[in-house]
Amino acid sequence: MAVRDFLLPDLGEGLEDAEVATWRVAVGDQVELNQVLVEVNTAKALVEIPAPWAGVVERLHAAEGDVVEVGKPLVSISVSEEAGEQGKTKRRAVLVGYGVEEEEPPAAPSSTAGRRKEEGGPVAASPPVRRLAKELGVDLATVIGTGPGGRVTREDVTAAGSSPVGDERVPVRGVKRLTAEKMARSAREIPHVTTFLTVDASNLAGFRRDLEARLGSKLTALPVIVRAFVEILKKHRSLNATFDAAASEIVLRGDIHVGVATETERGLLVPVVRHADRLGIGALSAEISRLVEAARSGRSAPDELTGGTVTVTNVGSFGAEFGTPIINHPESSILAVGVIEPRALVVDGRVEARQAVTLSLSFDHRVLDGAEAGRALRALGALLEDQSGLEALPS
Amino acid sequence: MLPLDESAGPDPASLGLKEEELRELFRLMALTRRADLEATALQRQGELAVYPPLIGQEAAQIGSAFALEESDWIFPSYRELGSAIVRGVDLVEYLHFYRATWHGGTYDANAHRFGYVSVPVGSQILHAVGYAMGAKMDGVSLVTLVYFGDGATSEGDFHEGCNFAAVFEAPVVFFCQNNQWAISVPVAAQTVAPIWRKAQAYGFPGVLVDGNDVLAVYQATREAAARARDEGTPTLIEAATYRIGPHSTADDATRYRTGEEVDAWRALDPIDRYRRWLARTGVADDSYFETVEDETRQFAARMRAGVISSEPRPVEEMFEWVFAEIPPHLARQREEALRLASEDGKDGGSG
Amino acid sequence: MAKALNEALRHSMAEDPRALVLGEDIGKLGGVFRVTEGLQEEFGSARVFDTPLAEAAIAGVSLGLALAGWHPIAEMQFDGFSYPALDQIISHIAKYRYRSRGRQTVPLVVRIPFAGGIGAAEHHSESPEAYYAHTAGLKVVVPSSPIDAYGLLRASIADPDPVIFLEPKSRYWSKEEGSLEPGADGLPIGKARVVREGSDCTIVTYGAMVARSLAAASRASADGIEVEVLDLRSLVPLDLESLGASVSRTGRAVVVHEAPLTAGFGAEVVARIVEDCFDYLEAPVIRVTGYDTPYPPATIESHYVPSVQRILAAVDRVTKY
Repeated sequence: MAVRDFLLPDLGEGLEDAEVATWRVAVGDQVELNQVLVEVNTAKALVEIPAPWAGVVERLHAAEGDVVEVGKPLVSISVSEEAGEQGKTKRRAVLVGYGVEEEEPPAAPSSTAGRRKEEGGPVAASPPVRRLAKELGVDLATVIGTGPGGRVTREDVTAAGSSPVGDERVPVRGVKRLTAEKMARSAREIPHVTTFLTVDASNLAGFRRDLEARLGSKLTALPVIVRAFVEILKKHRSLNATFDAAASEIVLRGDIHVGVATETERGLLVPVVRHADRLGIGALSAEISRLVEAARSGRSAPDELTGGTVTVTNVGSFGAEFGTPIINHPESSILAVGVIEPRALVVDGRVEARQAVTLSLSFDHRVLDGAEAGRALRALGALLEDQSGLEALPS
Repeated sequence: MLPLDESAGPDPASLGLKEEELRELFRLMALTRRADLEATALQRQGELAVYPPLIGQEAAQIGSAFALEESDWIFPSYRELGSAIVRGVDLVEYLHFYRATWHGGTYDANAHRFGYVSVPVGSQILHAVGYAMGAKMDGVSLVTLVYFGDGATSEGDFHEGCNFAAVFEAPVVFFCQNNQWAISVPVAAQTVAPIWRKAQAYGFPGVLVDGNDVLAVYQATREAAARARDEGTPTLIEAATYRIGPHSTADDATRYRTGEEVDAWRALDPIDRYRRWLARTGVADDSYFETVEDETRQFAARMRAGVISSEPRPVEEMFEWVFAEIPPHLARQREEALRLASEDGKDGGSG
Repeated sequence: MAKALNEALRHSMAEDPRALVLGEDIGKLGGVFRVTEGLQEEFGSARVFDTPLAEAAIAGVSLGLALAGWHPIAEMQFDGFSYPALDQIISHIAKYRYRSRGRQTVPLVVRIPFAGGIGAAEHHSESPEAYYAHTAGLKVVVPSSPIDAYGLLRASIADPDPVIFLEPKSRYWSKEEGSLEPGADGLPIGKARVVREGSDCTIVTYGAMVARSLAAASRASADGIEVEVLDLRSLVPLDLESLGASVSRTGRAVVVHEAPLTAGFGAEVVARIVEDCFDYLEAPVIRVTGYDTPYPPATIESHYVPSVQRILAAVDRVTKY
């Protein structure tokens, strides 16, 4: 014997419950198939409910007057095995008679396969992406799509276009603008050639140290090199000249005013040491320092920034070994001093580690030729390597 | 023809029916009564979504269906479970309509020449007329009989169908089971002209018959079928009967009619009436009645077993017979539905 | 077109002895548009017959005839008069195959002259295609030109499913050069046709609006815009493939129909385009349609029916987006 629960069915197309009006059987009663078990009141009618199986009433799940929900047990009946077997297909209670089921949420629409992009055919990209491409000025046909089916995605467009930030336009004003114009003019008008020389700076280093001690104030190698250069300029006057194209003349300058290229916040400034040949190394060093300080703080006097006849640039200060400096128009040469550091040099047929510095001399090839420039640079190098030569410089 | 009292009634031999046919009429009515009650119970037990009981109308259905030739076609409305039995339709398949398994039930109309349940009231009338016209055009000797109720006679399709049939001389028997009620509207509020009389408007005979007298129904239908078959003249038969039960299991008839009225008609039970005549005339005896009783019990039990063990149809059938061949847009939808169904692990489900 | 339809009926009636033609005034008179002219003479009144004035009956009886093995070609005299037949069409004709699990089928055609632009009285200019397209189980076919009309009607008659065949009555007297290809199978139902190729924009349309769209495309071409015109020909089944291919290629679509805007068939087309061509759309898909009003009196119907100007404005809008 199996006890089966008879669940209250939906008796009238969508009813939710029913009230038990009158039980027609009691627990323990033997009932036949279709024998009326109970009368219930629904929203629509008073309905008699017949037994779905023959058997013995085991339990009444509600009292008269109680409301039973559709789908909940109404009465339990113990049935014989075969009666139990009859409806054995234990399937889910069919919609029929058991009320309305909860709606399942609608499934998301199945995505239909996107079309593959054909060669030269239309590019696949959703409307918002197209709009972005338009805004960024990106031609979709040139973009590789990484989306499904080769679709061009938003990321593809932003990558293909400018950086996410886009091109930045920086206004060039003031000093930078003037410098830019000057540089361009110099490059345009002056045929540049640069010659290089690596110099053994052992003596220079020692000399600088000693002089610094003697002067009692900070001394870098630069003023020493500048003063040595000035000496060379006295003899190699073409380096301190200017080419007058209109007159087709080379003007060999009488004075030596050395400009010192200086990086400042406002840009590249070139304050000038006037009559550098009249200054000893110490004075030169002090003047350079003063001028650089003034330039950096923006307090250079106007005439300090003009009138130079030759320029020196310390490219070593930002670690460069050598460079190809652009001549400070309308001068005829510019000396770049590289970083002083140990190098492998050949001394007496052997390779040794020596302090060395590479000098780069750019010159106006209308004013000098390579031989002259080479001789001048050699002479400077020789001077810097020569202890006695250094010591002969006014300090 | 059948008396309501115990007077003799017609001589069985005069009816043009053999004694076994007379007994068969009873058997069919008994089966119908039993099946109808069983179907009602099944609904109350949650095995059918809804069911429209025909109790009280057995004679009208059996008498008329029995009078047709096998090659004739029946176009039912939705209450003709009795006529379906006469036509040999498997009731489990017929009741699949009410179990919400399939809209037409699952039987083959062609095999039984018994059409599908038609819910829009009266709409099947036009189909019966068209079918009859089509058969006639083929020179086939065939009658279509269409069932409808008193309410249907108010529908335009009834009027249009009668008119068409008359104009085209279609071999149709228009069979109205006037069971006095269209849900809650009594026939007096439904129409003014007596239903059988409406036929005059179309130019063919109208006949009023006692719908609870199975022999009278048989006779009237036989005549009408012959008239249709031989002359191409339709007939409108109004079979006066009574709907003992509610319109359907979802209806509460106590709200619009009295218990007295129902009881009065119950006393005129058509099966009882016929049974008494059979006994009186000796055409059937107690042992026959007992045999029939047994048979109806088994019949109902088989029907019950078949109904409660039947499962919903698989989901793919939802797309199967929309067109002869499934077009691309529908194939897409089927794919989605099947995919979802298999993901759920339910086949068809009950939602 | 009327002649082409007449030929189609004639040829189908000749080849298919089960084909019938029925409706109001289609026999002796040959139809109010002469589409059935001469058929009763040729095939007799058993197969070509006038019916009483009862549209529901025409449809319901056609169903009965179909169940009895005939192939009825029923005519609804005008679009506005097809409505009484809707119950028989929607509740039964569309559902019979389904209801009977394929045992009973409904190989019939309901021919309906439809749409406006002919200066007619009320109820004679309806565009009811959406009602039929929305009813599962019906095929809906709309020819736009005489030669297409021939092929599509022949195919509809041969189709095993019920077909609602909508004939744009304003095109009944349109002419076309070419020859009718008499195959019983006719043109395939469910295949659209590119009637004009173009690369800049696709006009998706059907019926009388095809000719109008072609006129618009001509004008646009003068401005350097090449418009492709796609004639759907079948609303159900819809040729999704051709629709997708065209709009994906041009990237822009304008849908044109005479029927009112809201819930018109154009909405279905736009939905399909969005679903299938989203990644190729350069502009929103817009519709040029009748307004959401009852079809207006003929004296102002030209303001209602999509004009070449309105179509061009739409093309303009999507190509300049």
